[in-house]
Amino acid sequence: MKTKKELKLNHRKTVKAERNVKILLFTAASTTIVFITLITLFIFMETIPVFLNENLRIKILFSQVWAPAYEKYGILPLIMGSIIVVTGALVISIPVGLCTAIYIAEEASESLKDVFKSAIEMFAAIPSVIYGFIGLVTLTPIVAKIFGLSSGKNAFSASIILAIMVLPTIMSLSSEIISSVPKEYREVSFALGASKWQTIKNVILPTAKPGILAAIILAFGRAIGETVAVLMVCGAAGSMPGFPFFFDAVFPMTAAIAMYMGEAPMGGELYRTLFFLGLILFIITFIVNTVADAILKKSKSATSGGIEI
Amino acid sequence: MNTDNRRRIKDNIILSFFGIQLLMLLIILSYMVGILIIGGIHVISWKTVFTSMLKGGLFETIIGTFLLFNGTAILAAPIGLGAAIYLSEYASKNNKIVRLIDQAINNLAGVPSIVTGLFGYTFFVKTLRFGISLMSGWLTLTIMALPIIVRGSEEAIRMVPKEFRETAMALGATKWQAIKDNVLPTATPGIATSIILGIARIAGETAAILFTACALTMRGLPRTPFDPIISLTYYLFVILVTSPSTSQNKAYAAAIILLSLVFLLNLVAIVLRAHYRRKWRR
Repeated sequence: MKTKKELKLNHRKTVKAERNVKILLFTAASTTIVFITLITLFIFMETIPVFLNENLRIKILFSQVWAPAYEKYGILPLIMGSIIVVTGALVISIPVGLCTAIYIAEEASESLKDVFKSAIEMFAAIPSVIYGFIGLVTLTPIVAKIFGLSSGKNAFSASIILAIMVLPTIMSLSSEIISSVPKEYREVSFALGASKWQTIKNVILPTAKPGILAAIILAFGRAIGETVAVLMVCGAAGSMPGFPFFFDAVFPMTAAIAMYMGEAPMGGELYRTLFFLGLILFIITFIVNTVADAILKKSKSATSGGIEI
Repeated sequence: MNTDNRRRIKDNIILSFFGIQLLMLLIILSYMVGILIIGGIHVISWKTVFTSMLKGGLFETIIGTFLLFNGTAILAAPIGLGAAIYLSEYASKNNKIVRLIDQAINNLAGVPSIVTGLFGYTFFVKTLRFGISLMSGWLTLTIMALPIIVRGSEEAIRMVPKEFRETAMALGATKWQAIKDNVLPTATPGIATSIILGIARIAGETAAILFTACALTMRGLPRTPFDPIISLTYYLFVILVTSPSTSQNKAYAAAIILLSLVFLLNLVAIVLRAHYRRKWRR
């Protein structure tokens, strides 16, 4: 038999051990905060000279040409490049993504649903270098041929590849959200004599609208941050793309960072400029994620369905 | 009755149109993968896999990829799992710090990999002076793998029925004992899934390791964690961006190896998850 004193000591030990475990786990969880803070801090710190040095600021913001070899660091063509490519990608992927998501959520049988979802997941897993490679060997020659261009490396090709890459995001999130609309909504609509399509159009989609919006916002964040695949098919030209934009070679921000970071001398003007681009991307995706997150949380509590992200 | 019929036909047309889109999408994607396989199947052999790059093989790139994602897994898995246990078992929803952690994970998941790469370069490579090395790569990639592992493990742990905890604690176990002996073993398949998915993501990553872990100056395999490496993705990137017309054959071979690796990892994860979800869904 243990004495009372020993038991008490034992108890104190377990209490202490419990507390230590909790502290350890909390530390692990807080590393996420540490990381996001460090990223914010360091990306920002490396760009401070851009804000202080007026010469560099003018060079970056008002030049119409991106040509680091000639010390021309205008980021306008790069920003334009990103906007064009991402817009193109969303114009293609939103309608296709929504239609297919509706089909998966509303029409497909349970077992088919699983098959489709797994397929989407597999395609989402294809590395972006491979998408770039495929785009390079299959897409760009086709684009060049159809439109009679000397090279298929342009904003159009980049948009298509990017659209394919963000489709899984839109499809899986939207179908998840459409599925989570309570069954009663459908039943009531059917009972009132609405057809399936009328129910989808008038009842389900309006209910799922916030969630779908969040999916599109997240897809936008994905698209604007995508680097390697875009770099391979965009043509990498640092001049201002002219109307109608899509058949010009472009140079999105991410692609420029990937291309020039390796040769940028530490602390030089190119280095600062590239970090400035990084900061822009970071801020955009930060806002995008926070907004999408807020929308999802709100719609989740509204329909109280089990939405998984 | 007539309008009813017309409506049904309209329904069918619209929904089949959606279905056809889905089918076409799947065909296009399979076609793309198929092109890769057809282009590379005659180039790839065990010899390519095991011969050094100096003699025309891909050995170093494959080893580089394995070193990269194994090291990342060793770093990210315990941190991610710890965070997941904290969030699912200990954290109260309304706590301010908990909400901050939640927000941080979502934001980390959204940081573009090229930006993570930039951060890795200034922080791990330059500030901590790890140089362009395996170590910098591991740490940078850990940041990317963490959100995937935390979210997945959290879901798996939450899926374990409440009774598992209550029974153990009723028998006198402490909270941690209940978690360690009852909850975690039950959640293991789900936790494994999340770690595998994290690894799969890392294995295919390029942008984040471009200027943190990889260098073209090959001195054979890395001897210490502070040597640079060359990975399958980096190799592909360099070939395709700098000289797309040369060595296309080797690019195909590298792409097929990379794709098989990533598909295999995902397949394992999907099967594992289907298995445990079936078990726990009421």
